[in-house]
Amino acid sequence: MNRRRDRPGVLVATLLAAIVLTLIALPPALDGLRPYWVALVLIYWCLETQGLITLGLAFSIGLLLDLLTGSLLGLHALSLVILVYLVTRFRARLRFFPTWQQALSVFALLLNDRIILLWILSLRGDPLPSLGFWLPPIVGTLLWLPVFLLLDRFRGNMRRRAAAR
Amino acid sequence: MVTGSSGADTTFFGPVAQTARLMLYGLVAVVLMAMDQRGHYVPKIRSMALYLVEPVYHVVDWPARAARNVFGQFQSHRSLRHDNESLKQQLLRQKGALQRFAALTEENRRLRALIDGADGQTFEFQFAELVGVDLDPFSHKVVVNRGALDGVQSGQAVIDGAGVMGQVEEVQPHFSTIRLISDPNHALPVQINRTGLRTVAFGSGETAALKMPGVPRQADVREGDLVVTSGLGNRFPGGYPVAVISRINRHEGQTFVVVEAMPLAALDRAREVLLINTPDTAQEEAPDNVDLVEKSALQQDALDEETVEGETVEGETVNKDIIDENVMGQDLEGEDGE
Repeated sequence: MNRRRDRPGVLVATLLAAIVLTLIALPPALDGLRPYWVALVLIYWCLETQGLITLGLAFSIGLLLDLLTGSLLGLHALSLVILVYLVTRFRARLRFFPTWQQALSVFALLLNDRIILLWILSLRGDPLPSLGFWLPPIVGTLLWLPVFLLLDRFRGNMRRRAAAR
Repeated sequence: MVTGSSGADTTFFGPVAQTARLMLYGLVAVVLMAMDQRGHYVPKIRSMALYLVEPVYHVVDWPARAARNVFGQFQSHRSLRHDNESLKQQLLRQKGALQRFAALTEENRRLRALIDGADGQTFEFQFAELVGVDLDPFSHKVVVNRGALDGVQSGQAVIDGAGVMGQVEEVQPHFSTIRLISDPNHALPVQINRTGLRTVAFGSGETAALKMPGVPRQADVREGDLVVTSGLGNRFPGGYPVAVISRINRHEGQTFVVVEAMPLAALDRAREVLLINTPDTAQEEAPDNVDLVEKSALQQDALDEETVEGETVEGETVNKDIIDENVMGQDLEGEDGE
């Protein structure tokens, strides 16, 4: 593994992009399909770096996301903490999976996240959501590879630029 | 690959410590959620923190605004003229309807004065537009582009062209968040327009339905009845259309029927909304308005009934505070005289 260090600005930039993508208005037809962008970006960083994404960081990002999306404070914090915990726990295995297997594990992670959300919604007394509730993990899985490649290229570029300086 | 450089993760009890941390953060998150749900402290902290992160909304709204501007630039002259014409027609039609409305308001006010009822209030509206920010789909909130700097206050009622949408929940300098009436935690005091039956409409979690669980079995409710705000609870002014009753579930052996109603406001589609300045917020200008209208009502009275004496009218215009009693007394005198 390349031991050159990432600058924190790169992480912040990718997270901000993910947050903007989460909030930006989509046409109503696509609204139900919006993937969990922040989760995808965090999974990438967890897999590619060691010790950079701590549970505390995941928790803070989740709180920020709760604040911005107007959801119950702590909802995204809980979901991201669990997600990051799982990825760091199985990081060694996930990293060396072939691509399709990695995508499947991302699907499992996103699905698990959805189940936690369902649990919280039902505790809150919301009615059970429709079948469309399960679409975002599928969209997220399909987008995993492009997101992974894009982030990898972006990060690689930034590191090369930093090294050249 | 296996380096110990990154701290606790790779030490002997790394996994244990990590699990403990997971538990801790999980616990904190759950406590936060519970407090937020119950409305303890957290909503206050949340609205303060929102001030800090407001710039993000500006960033997110920017592409949508830019797109709208560009689109506006390239709209053809013809379509603009067409829009203009149809809008003019619409305006004329609504002006026509409003002429009658003014007369009715005045009549209503006079009648209310007669029975010494609550003042019919006049409200000010503030135009606002939805911002290109999509919030959590399970939170039933939207963001509009008017905030504390425009005088928006938490708790203001929000309507669109067709009916009640919700109320202002959090206010930031340039934006405010509106909780829609479809939120399962939202309750709206309403009455059925045809019969005057008062009840409460709860959000159902879906934008296409409100639930009214408190309607007695014997009550006269029909599908298609209009539901309007009742004005109880002092948050929503009375008389604004809310929904049309779409379904009535009459189960055998239950005291209450569950009534479902379809909101009139386009909760998931509206782009332009109106914020209502409730009397609390518009207190400064309210007395003048009342005075004006009362005066004209009095003049009307004077025209209608010759028994009104000039000196009482003068006395009343000076004394604003006891205007209602005076109107009341004067009219009673008039009736006595006849």
